Amino acid sequence: MSVVKDIAAVAKGMGITFGEMFQPTIVENYPDGPGPLKGAKFQERFRGAHVLQRDENGLEKCVACFLCAAACPCNCIYIEADENTEQNRVSGAERYAKVYNIDYNRCIFCGYCVEACPTDAITHGHGFELASFNATNLIYRKEQLLAIKPAQLGEGVTFNKAEMDRQGSTAG
Amino acid sequence: MGTRGFGFGMADANITVDGKKITAPAGSLLIDACKNAGIEIPSFCYYPNLSLQGACRMCVVRVDAPKMPKLQTACTTTISDGMVVTTDSEEVKQSRKAVVEILLGNHPLDCPVCDAGGQCELQDMTFTYGASESRYVEPKNHKQEQQWSPVVFFDSPRCILCYRCVRVCNEAMDVAALGVENRGVSSLIVPNGGDHLDCEECGMCIDICPVGALTSGSYRYKTRPWEMNHVSTICTHCGDGCKTTLGVRSSEAGMEILRGDNRDKSGINDDFLCIKGRYAFDFANREDRLRQPLVRKNGVLTAVTWEEAVTAVGDKFAEVKQSGGVFGVIGSPRSTNEEAYLLQKFARSTLGTNNIDHQRTADFPAFVSALAGKPEMAGSMRDAYMVPAILLLGGDATDEHPLLAYQVRNNVRLHSAKLYVVNSQEIKLKRQAAEFAQIPAGTESGVAAFLAGDDSAVAAIATAITSADAWRALRETLRSAQNLLIAFSSDLQGDGIANIAKFAGSVSGAKVICLADYANSRGVADMGLYPDLLPGYASAAKAGLDLAGMSAAAQQGKLGALLVVGANPVYDLGFAADSLNNTFVVVQDMFLTETAAIADVVLPSASAYETSGTFTNTSGDLQLVKKAGDLHGTKPDFEIIVRIASAMGVDVSTLVPLGAGTTADMGQSRGAQSGEADRSAVYLQKQGLEARVSPFDAAALFDEIQRLVPGYDVSRMNLMAGNDVRTTTAGKAAALPASRGESLRPAHDTLFSSGSLGRYSRVLNSVAENRDSKLVEVAAD
Ligand code: SF4
Ligand code: SF4
Ligand code: SF4
Ligand code: SF4
Ligand code: SF4
Ligand code: FES
Repeated sequence: MSVVKDIAAVAKGMGITFGEMFQPTIVENYPDGPGPLKGAKFQERFRGAHVLQRDENGLEKCVACFLCAAACPCNCIYIEADENTEQNRVSGAERYAKVYNIDYNRCIFCGYCVEACPTDAITHGHGFELASFNATNLIYRKEQLLAIKPAQLGEGVTFNKAEMDRQGSTAG
Repeated sequence: MGTRGFGFGMADANITVDGKKITAPAGSLLIDACKNAGIEIPSFCYYPNLSLQGACRMCVVRVDAPKMPKLQTACTTTISDGMVVTTDSEEVKQSRKAVVEILLGNHPLDCPVCDAGGQCELQDMTFTYGASESRYVEPKNHKQEQQWSPVVFFDSPRCILCYRCVRVCNEAMDVAALGVENRGVSSLIVPNGGDHLDCEECGMCIDICPVGALTSGSYRYKTRPWEMNHVSTICTHCGDGCKTTLGVRSSEAGMEILRGDNRDKSGINDDFLCIKGRYAFDFANREDRLRQPLVRKNGVLTAVTWEEAVTAVGDKFAEVKQSGGVFGVIGSPRSTNEEAYLLQKFARSTLGTNNIDHQRTADFPAFVSALAGKPEMAGSMRDAYMVPAILLLGGDATDEHPLLAYQVRNNVRLHSAKLYVVNSQEIKLKRQAAEFAQIPAGTESGVAAFLAGDDSAVAAIATAITSADAWRALRETLRSAQNLLIAFSSDLQGDGIANIAKFAGSVSGAKVICLADYANSRGVADMGLYPDLLPGYASAAKAGLDLAGMSAAAQQGKLGALLVVGANPVYDLGFAADSLNNTFVVVQDMFLTETAAIADVVLPSASAYETSGTFTNTSGDLQLVKKAGDLHGTKPDFEIIVRIASAMGVDVSTLVPLGAGTTADMGQSRGAQSGEADRSAVYLQKQGLEARVSPFDAAALFDEIQRLVPGYDVSRMNLMAGNDVRTTTAGKAAALPASRGESLRPAHDTLFSSGSLGRYSRVLNSVAENRDSKLVEVAAD
């Protein structure tokens, strides 16, 4: 009797196994999945590496108010401010961030900086592959955090007279 | 608290505020009475010691008894016995909220970029009374920001029309460069030049503006208040010794100073700073600051390491000393007391010479000997604001001693002090003077002689404006004055000072201030940067060479080595550049000055903002100089001198007493912020080690100064807490030769110059240029 009982139990177990084998997979196939995300999927609200946004004209939204740096519990945001001039316009307001660094050695992705920003300049993106063998690589500079310039403005659009002059001279 | 608040001789009134009983002099302002009792009443337009405006309605309160029909403004209501006031009812809050809402109606949403953000009174009020939702939908009235001068910018949409700027310029500064145009909502603050300012550029209006409407050219858009380190130290320009709080941030060079103000009203200057204190710290930020030692190799100054440069100096000095060569040492009236004391100690004990001097701008030896035995006759900077009568003799204080002028002016305005001005020019302070006596140029000493009782001196000082009779009447008036404060310029020396002191001795409670030009002129004199005087004005056994003597020795090729610390003898002390060809010249300076350019070794030194120590202002008030930060590559003069001594093979503990310990030091001397524990000292003490382990610690030498220099035995605790403490002239050499023949080189600075340092300040240069170009324009018309 016990043999029959055992066989029935195995068959029941295997039944579940075979039954599940033909269900659709729910495990994400990262990093071997398709697409640029290599199979990773995110919730909208996921807080990944930061993105410094631009406005509809492509100017940087950050006005270097230092509120994100003040809000950050880890003190990992470093900003140096400078004044926009006729020659060199970077943001829409009087001031812009000449230097904007986030130290990902220390960032805990709490999102306080995003909360604090009055111009919606700093946001959490979905970037998450931040690991590095070298801690200094984890200090991201403004150039690494900035959103790309809006596509509708075309290739090579600049807002900065100095940059424009430079491009003009290389073109000419 | 102003005069209105002092309520001299007024009976006390008992009033009830929010159920709390408080007592204050009857007739004082309700807002002051509440503030003193710890009840805060918000205000925009009210500012202590300025005239009342009653413009903003932020300070409204309900006065229940005597019953008043409407809410009252606390800033204009005077209290009377039995008054009952409510300051925090719903009604009051609603009214204040409405005020904020109306102010915000046309206020831009600039907080993220506005300089005031973080310390803006409007922001604070909006947070407290919460009118954050705007019910206005109309577009805001935008106006372009204006630049009024190199240092003053105006953003009119942010202005809340409190008129503080107008009043401070008008009343406290007596410049009246700001006014109001139009009426009602279209009122606008306008500068006197139409689109620009013609003024003293003191920046008081910027400082006093409760919002970010007036902004400073040197600070605007650079950073935010909470991003800076705040270090309170002393201005390094004139001899008045204003306390200033520097806003400092770190930079690639080490540190950068962004702002100077005295908002906390600590120190002898209330919230006053002149243009130099408020902006002319910028020389410290210049890119052409020397950051590497230079040694002349094959005729060219070549950058080398500190080690190499200091060794070169040490070897050469030892060699000159060995061969019996002549040394010369020139110090600077901008060095700290510790640096000056160390320099003369180094010169006298290590180099073995009395050939030491500095740019003298007042005859302090004569002053101190004239006051010998009467230390209570030395006036302080605070006296200028408090005494009932002041005699200003010579000089233009508005230009040369801006703080003194400010204190005198406001003493007259607020306390009705009597000011007597004796001058050859119609100086600006004449406007405040009860009496103005004009003298022929250069006869200040005649005035002193006449005041001291020499009636024959009157002929020389009588003018068309002030006759001999008028002089006699003035002398009588002055003699009967109570607690007269006499401040005299460098036009008086030797006997002139003795005469003035003699006169002061005959007036009851009279005090005297001797005015000198630089931040530590008095201090370096006290520390003995003289060829014939040791610290505390004790006579040296054998007098050395003074500046003229050293220059002559150099001419004759007899000067073996010259050590110049922070001075520029080729530029302004009468040294011919080529006379130094046969002299080994070592210069410690911030810049490649005219003297540094011909030196054999140049050592880059720290500015006074990068050094710890003490300054004694011209009236003998001792204050703490705190280090705001380090500029990479430079070293304080103190450290450089110790290093040179060490390179000469001297045991440095004979120069700087190590390990002696101190009576009280909260770490500020080592750069700790106030309020912050000096962790390394705490640790060292706990481990049974001495805190004074470094020969570069200026505070260690201050211990010695306190022990050995008469008059410097001050309360260490008080000094370290950041207060001004009085040094005295007590016990200082009484028996100086009556006339030492002091050779003074006064700087005659204006508001926009500062000895040989002013050249390195961009702000001072640009303001001066701006004014020159205006003058040219006017001249061309
Ligand atoms: S990111 Fe936003 S919060 Fe941070 S400095 Fe820029 S504007 Fe201010
Ligand atoms: S997410 Fe949090 S820890 Fe990271 S930078 Fe923003 S505030 Fe700082
Ligand atoms: S003045 Fe004050 S409230 Fe107005 S924008 Fe500046 S910080 Fe904001
Ligand atoms: S500029 Fe500033 S101080 Fe002057 S009235 Fe306007 S808000 Fe007041
Ligand atoms: S009055 Fe003198 S000490 Fe005061 S800020 Fe001006 S220069 Fe500096
Ligand atoms: S503070 Fe009283 S009306 Fe402005």
